[in-house]
Amino acid sequence: MVSSTLIVFLGALIYLVLYFTYGKKIERDVVRASDESPTPSQRLYDGVDFVPAHKAVLFGHHFASIAGAGPLVGPAMAICWGWLPGLLWVWLGNIFIGSIHDYLALMASVRYDGKSVQFVASDLISKRTGRSFYYLVFFLLVLVVAAFSNVIGTMFVKNPAIGSASIFMTIAALIFGVILYRLKWNLTLSTIIGIVFMIISIWLGPKLPIPLSYETWMVIFFFYIIIAAAIPVNVLLQPRDYLNSFLLYFGIAIGFLAAFFTFRGMEIPVWSSFSPVLLGNQPTPFWPAIPLVIACGALSGFHSLVASGTSSKQLAKESDGLFVGYGGMFTEGMLSTTIIVAIGGFGFSVIQTEAAKAAYNLTLNADNWGALYTTTTNALKLSPPNMIVESFAAMTAASFLSFIPTAIVKVIAGLWISAFALTTLDTTNRLARYCLTEMLLPAKEKMGGLFSTLTNRWVASIIPAFIGIYLAWSKQFSILWPSFSAANQLIASIALMTGAVYVAKKLQSRFSVIAVAPAWFLWVTVTCGIVWFMAIVMPPSIAKSPGTGWILQIIMAVMLILNILFIVDFVKSRKS
Amino acid sequence: MHRDRALALTRLECAELENVFALLLVGSFIGFPAPPSFIALELMPLMEKELAIFGRRAYDSKDMLGELLGVMGVD
Repeated sequence: MVSSTLIVFLGALIYLVLYFTYGKKIERDVVRASDESPTPSQRLYDGVDFVPAHKAVLFGHHFASIAGAGPLVGPAMAICWGWLPGLLWVWLGNIFIGSIHDYLALMASVRYDGKSVQFVASDLISKRTGRSFYYLVFFLLVLVVAAFSNVIGTMFVKNPAIGSASIFMTIAALIFGVILYRLKWNLTLSTIIGIVFMIISIWLGPKLPIPLSYETWMVIFFFYIIIAAAIPVNVLLQPRDYLNSFLLYFGIAIGFLAAFFTFRGMEIPVWSSFSPVLLGNQPTPFWPAIPLVIACGALSGFHSLVASGTSSKQLAKESDGLFVGYGGMFTEGMLSTTIIVAIGGFGFSVIQTEAAKAAYNLTLNADNWGALYTTTTNALKLSPPNMIVESFAAMTAASFLSFIPTAIVKVIAGLWISAFALTTLDTTNRLARYCLTEMLLPAKEKMGGLFSTLTNRWVASIIPAFIGIYLAWSKQFSILWPSFSAANQLIASIALMTGAVYVAKKLQSRFSVIAVAPAWFLWVTVTCGIVWFMAIVMPPSIAKSPGTGWILQIIMAVMLILNILFIVDFVKSRKS
Repeated sequence: MHRDRALALTRLECAELENVFALLLVGSFIGFPAPPSFIALELMPLMEKELAIFGRRAYDSKDMLGELLGVMGVD
């Protein structure tokens, strides 16, 4: 039987070997990184935006920006295919697509004076492609609000201790902010107090659970998103980000150690079927649907914007790029691997325990896994984040870390997901406002009144929050998540194509196929995935909840049109 | 390491405040009705670096999406 230890070891080994072979080849023969050419942080040094950073520090910054709830939730859904397909997509997708995507975005930006991949796309492909980023990112932000609110909402309903711990953590962050910025206490002392508050929040969560309905949580999130976007970053967002850092590395440490030292065999099937029942309760073929399920663990379009937005301005030398861009993505792949191992090794026991508690007649087994997994977990209210929390706790209890009480581990795992998701919700409205302003700019001359109304600070904040929460209200996670992933993967597809054009046109490398082939594969896969989703999954979902269904269908249709226009521009740019 | 991201958020806000400050000082040159022109002229030699950053940021203002996502992080 394949054990969790072996998978974690093998994953780390594959990533390490490929980093030093395939990664180095890309660095040497495709990108031709050279420390002779000064990076923007040296050429354009200004002590503010362009500052060279040590590669370990920059790696930390880059990784913290790209790690979120995404790489945790997607792999938990993919378990429906069995544990191997999802794992292979995380490993191979990461190695041959995701890491190349991140690395090329970073290096193209470095060669373009630290300009973003959006700017590079405008320059190399077309202005229209550059502008399409605003639309895709705006849709993505709306869908992030919808998918992430649903993720944390279902988690808080299933385990009210996580909801209360999240509220206590928010209060702890606010107090920490006051101590540090208003009272101006010493940073070390403030940090110790902040961590103590964080521990108290985790301890207090199971003692004072707050059992609220899903709808009540959605209303709370709606107001929370608007208020969080309006208050200065150093009041809530920044102090919480700071405290989250301790939670993030503590969670990762527990996860890796527990996964490595449980020596547990995988208890769910290696493979169920090519088309198990998953998205929208429809048979879901592995290809082309997989990028709609696993986005961030294998490949994420956001990474290209992060890599080219801030990381490229701080890269001290070109040879650091592989470690930061390529290595950062590998680390995220390991994070997803840990989740697959946790659910693969303990997911079935979790389902059995929950079924026994609910007196549910469990008929799920290895033979009917693909057909019954989604129905069973839905009936037991084991949404993907709940599966992560329960499996993570079971994995920790089976390892040498069993001395940590299970209730506490569940809160830590839940907080890990909710902290990432809440921080994301904090920021989405700020970003959406910017995108909305840029999107509406062409209408400014003709419809000045409408422009100023829609770009008003409050109106622009309410629009994505309202649409997102309205979508989440329907509880249709199995169509919300793939829509979010689709938008994410479309951005990735455009960014990777831009990277491929950069390699082929500007560098004229004879190994450009390393970038061009995955770019085409990704574009075809994502396009087919969206068409399949719109044609097969959406009609029954529209019949079930027309409001949510039609909004998603329209968003997907607009994204598909942008994707087609993009490929037309891409082909034209290649010919020219 | 994650703290750098938190620090970056504060830096972003600080940079925005610096932009506002610079705009207050040199706004009159671009038609803003900013009263303290004499203060601006007096401070001008001391603000060479800030003005250079101000100029570059104005040039890069159409390319802010990546930077915003990099600082705020959504994933």
